[in-house]
Amino acid sequence: MAHQITSDKPNKLRSAFNLFRFREKNRRDKREKQFVGAIITPLILYMAFWTLLPLIFGIALAFFEYSARRAGGPILGFGGDNPFVGLQHFKNMLDFSPNAPLQVRQFHSGFKITILFALLVVPLNLLITLPLAFMIESVHKKLKGIFRTIFFLPVLAPSVGVAIMWGFIYHPQRGLLNAIIGLFAGKLIGINWTGNPNLVVAGIPVALFAVIIAYIWQDLGYNLVIFIAALQAIPQSLKDAAKIDGASDWKTFLHVIIPLMMPTILLTVVLTTISAFQVFDIIQVMTDGGPADQTKVLLLSIYDYAFRYQRMGWAAAISFVLFLLIFSVSLIQTKLLRSEWEY
Amino acid sequence: MAENSLPQIKKKRKIRVNLATLILIPMSLVALLPFIWMILGSFKTGAEIRQIPPTFFPQTFTLDNYRKVLTDPQLPLGLFYRNSAIIAVANVIQVLFTSSLLGYIFAKFEFKFKKVIFWFILATMMIPSQLTMIPGYLILAKLGLINNLLGLIVPAAVDAFGIFLFRQFAQSVPNELLDAARVDGAGEFKIYFKIVLPQLGPALATLGMLTFMFNWNAYLWPLIVLTEQKVRTLPIILTWFSSRMVSNDHYTMAASVLVILPVLIVYLFVQKWIVEGITLSGLKG
Repeated sequence: MAHQITSDKPNKLRSAFNLFRFREKNRRDKREKQFVGAIITPLILYMAFWTLLPLIFGIALAFFEYSARRAGGPILGFGGDNPFVGLQHFKNMLDFSPNAPLQVRQFHSGFKITILFALLVVPLNLLITLPLAFMIESVHKKLKGIFRTIFFLPVLAPSVGVAIMWGFIYHPQRGLLNAIIGLFAGKLIGINWTGNPNLVVAGIPVALFAVIIAYIWQDLGYNLVIFIAALQAIPQSLKDAAKIDGASDWKTFLHVIIPLMMPTILLTVVLTTISAFQVFDIIQVMTDGGPADQTKVLLLSIYDYAFRYQRMGWAAAISFVLFLLIFSVSLIQTKLLRSEWEY
Repeated sequence: MAENSLPQIKKKRKIRVNLATLILIPMSLVALLPFIWMILGSFKTGAEIRQIPPTFFPQTFTLDNYRKVLTDPQLPLGLFYRNSAIIAVANVIQVLFTSSLLGYIFAKFEFKFKKVIFWFILATMMIPSQLTMIPGYLILAKLGLINNLLGLIVPAAVDAFGIFLFRQFAQSVPNELLDAARVDGAGEFKIYFKIVLPQLGPALATLGMLTFMFNWNAYLWPLIVLTEQKVRTLPIILTWFSSRMVSNDHYTMAASVLVILPVLIVYLFVQKWIVEGITLSGLKG
């Protein structure tokens, strides 16, 4: 009894306080809701305007014959002088006969070159960056930072600058590469690395190799720092255990390190492939797709047809194909990473 | 036995370290060659640059190329530096603001359609830029933003990757801190500015650097949007200049040094953030 009486007062107080807190919390909840709504709504709509609208617009373009110079119909210039052509662009793409129009043959070769570019870039990149990361990770701490910075430096440079720098290396008369070869050969060398369509090695144009080397030189820093971080995440005890078991460095690298890094390697393969599909800057500046269209990847064709020849419908159709190519690789990525993505 | 094998391991490691260093030193020199070749060339005279076979070190060291490039009335480098800086800095500010705000909201608030909206943001990262390039240009043209620096700022105000990054970082801000501020009667914006933002320093630095670098080095999109000389950015101007100077490599080299090196040197001091951003995301620019 006594207990009940004494506890009555605090209980009342507490419930009054709780009521106050409840109201206060309600008020705060409302304010939070207003805050969230005031931020999310305009920003997401803004984002949708600059992503969804161009996406739908871009896909629609692929079904029209479209030029920005013609007035066309009332809605975004569709119709009128910019007529609907249905699947015509995509049908044209499937014309594999030898007398197909130039634009179609250019698309076919561009598709092949884009795939070839990625197929060469990805393994070459990994063959360089994986051992390089392993070596850099194994040297003295003070040297580590210097080496990493040197190989990472080109990532920070504008790719246009990279293209111009490599142009000075590849120059047929004044280039460093020919000078070095000439030094060993004992005579003047005048190989035109980026401009001779007849230079072909194993079915692959030398000009394509030339732009690939410049591209990898700039791009390898990305994978390098990712691999270095992955290597640092491997527990030292595992590496030591392999060594105590008598494994050589090479065997440790091959049988312990590489399998442990497999998830990271798969991720970088996908990312490197996707960005290789979208190569533009270096090739446009170094060769502009030449010689004889040997380095004309799809994005170069898209740029030319859309902004040089004003055939935006055809360019949009090529964009769509490139998108499908990238999307299929992205799908593999999400499959690979599903276990790590939790929302 | 075990005591015997330990020094052996140590010895072995030392040898490997030396071997790796021996391989890395020539490799890194080769990696630096394009930079070295350009810098050396920028100090050579026109006669020397046209010499066949070329010299490696400049025989007569000259600063004339820099003088010529800096005084060329057709190449007002200051103007192009300004254009590039306006675009890069404006993008950094707006992207940091929207990303931190939205990232914080997605990390700390519950609201209707939260999952759907977040998936939408992630999905926009899957849309490759070349698919939206042509319609993006047409929309900008309708808005009158072609040949306007705003054309490179306005469409990029909200960045999906930035939101994603800040959401990860903002999750570690303690809820007690936010609740305490709320009980004290602080408004939501005040909480964001005074409590959340200061805790997000590393994320701000990382995303800020990546955004600056991406915009400063961008080529394709500025090439499409900025077709008039006076609004162009450094990378476009550099290609324009080099195509005009086909047989005057020494001038192009000096111009390239002036465009590439100053920013590269600044990056060297902040590369920690950039490297962190790349490894954190595994995402490529």
